[in-house]
Amino acid sequence: MQIELSAVVPVPLRDRIRERPSDIWDRTVTFRPGQFVKIKAPSGTGKTTLVHYLYHIRYDYTGTITAGGKPWGQYSPAQLASVRQEAISVVFQDLRLFDQLTAEENIELKRVMIPQPLYPADKIREFAELLGVTHVLQQSAATLSYGERQRIAIIRALMQPFQWLMMDEPFSHLDEANTAKAAKLVEQECRARKAGFILTDLDHDQHFTYDVTYQL
Amino acid sequence: MQFNRILQKIIRTGVGKSRYWMAIIGLGVAMLLILVALQVHTDFNELLHGTRNQNERADYLVVNKLITNDMMGKPELTVFTAEEQKDFAAQPFVEAFGAITAAQFNVKLEADQLGFSTLAFFESVPDTFLDVKTEEWKWQAGQQMLPIMVPRDFVNMFNFGFALGNGIPQFSEKTIQSMTPQVVISQGMQQGQFIGKIAGFSDRISTVLVPQSFMDWANKAYGTGEVKLPSRVVIRVKDPSSIELRDYLEKHHYSTDNEKTKYNKIRGIVQTIVSVVGFFGLVLLMFALLVFSMFIQLVISSCKKEIRLLVTLGTAPQRLQRYLLGQLVPVYFVTGVIALAVVAVAQWWASGVLEKHGMYVAPWPGVMTIAATVGILLLVYIVNWRTVRKEIRAHT
Repeated sequence: MQIELSAVVPVPLRDRIRERPSDIWDRTVTFRPGQFVKIKAPSGTGKTTLVHYLYHIRYDYTGTITAGGKPWGQYSPAQLASVRQEAISVVFQDLRLFDQLTAEENIELKRVMIPQPLYPADKIREFAELLGVTHVLQQSAATLSYGERQRIAIIRALMQPFQWLMMDEPFSHLDEANTAKAAKLVEQECRARKAGFILTDLDHDQHFTYDVTYQL
Repeated sequence: MQFNRILQKIIRTGVGKSRYWMAIIGLGVAMLLILVALQVHTDFNELLHGTRNQNERADYLVVNKLITNDMMGKPELTVFTAEEQKDFAAQPFVEAFGAITAAQFNVKLEADQLGFSTLAFFESVPDTFLDVKTEEWKWQAGQQMLPIMVPRDFVNMFNFGFALGNGIPQFSEKTIQSMTPQVVISQGMQQGQFIGKIAGFSDRISTVLVPQSFMDWANKAYGTGEVKLPSRVVIRVKDPSSIELRDYLEKHHYSTDNEKTKYNKIRGIVQTIVSVVGFFGLVLLMFALLVFSMFIQLVISSCKKEIRLLVTLGTAPQRLQRYLLGQLVPVYFVTGVIALAVVAVAQWWASGVLEKHGMYVAPWPGVMTIAATVGILLLVYIVNWRTVRKEIRAHT
């Protein structure tokens, strides 16, 4: 699935964007299947906004974003649901876990959302072990530290099939060692699916070999 | 873990528990009222019209216009005009319609054997309306013997009222039938004599009858020549207790034997009660639907954040709808079945009790009742489905 941006300008940031050049806003940008994409930007330039546009949960922009050759606006709610179940996965900056569920249930939710789960249930424990969060799986998500929540959100995103993985500052609260482990798992899972990812971050990092880097 | 079990933890249907139970109880009572109303209606109809309950209910009614003080002395007001006759005969509850023809001549009966003479009158009806079938009931021009039919009430009046009070012997019907009073009919100077013969006693038509053929001949021979409109008509109705008949008679100020139509009063009362019960059932059903909708709105708005996130993560809105409906449908389906079961038990019991009194109703609920159960459940489902869909759409 190819994702294309064409002259996309967020309405709230319109004036600021006119003042400073950007590789993304108001350009034609194509994200090709399987690409590892880095989007680098300082705070306040619209990283999260971009991820929300790409995942189609915010619509306050001019221009068009097409996914698989079809503008987001033309997707029905049911089609959108199926895209989110099988084609595009996401790690939000604010993570968005259900506080009333345990960490494991949060991950399980995504695993069983499709009728034929991609992975068996014990995959959760396997990934949790890799990222060092096994001990919090039975805890309510509300009680976890931000770093733990971040890793749970990453595992949740990896439980489904996808062609694109959107990640909005996914390692912001992880130390070097944990970031490395998480990045390794993400890369391994993307390669296994022949999928690409779009990662936003504040600055340079050496966690992945990026195919393309954009300055927002 | 099943997806729905996780949903159960996310979407707390417990928030509106009291509303939920209010809705369920309301629905149950509403269904009970509606089903009982329908069942009573069905039973009552079966009691009135069912083949097991009634011998032939068809009945003959003699109808005349109610004579009020204003109409006194104005006989033209008490007759049925041609239009009125036509309209009456065309009513759906009238199976047969006949005019009672009045004589246009004077009648005098003389019973020499008894030294008894009286002024009298004759009327006639088409033969099909008579309840007494006898070979003697015919007359043709030139025949001296004139068959006469009198109401049985006359005989009783004579025997138990007049005869006893005046010291005259009582007569059996047989004796009366053997008498041959002289019948003198006259109009002005014209006069004719016949030998009367009591051919039978009518319980149906309370007047002195002669065969229609005689009446036609005599009216022509002795009458004034103008066609006289009937002031009484006789109708055959399938059901003298029918509300339509009662309303028609009331509307046109017609009067008939109240004894025969008394059932329509009872029936009117029962129908009113049944309608009131059914109406309350419908009102309650509407409230139950409203409370159901409020419950759904409450549940959905209390977890709109969660619903939004579920959809963001890829849950199909349709699936959420199915889940929410799945939480509701089994409960009100059970409610409906319980309501129907209660009515079924009541019906079975009532059928047993009524049978002892020689009244028969089916021991199981009627088709209407079962259809109404299905219909109401379907209505509740559709209303709930629409509410859930609307609310989910509003929050995603």
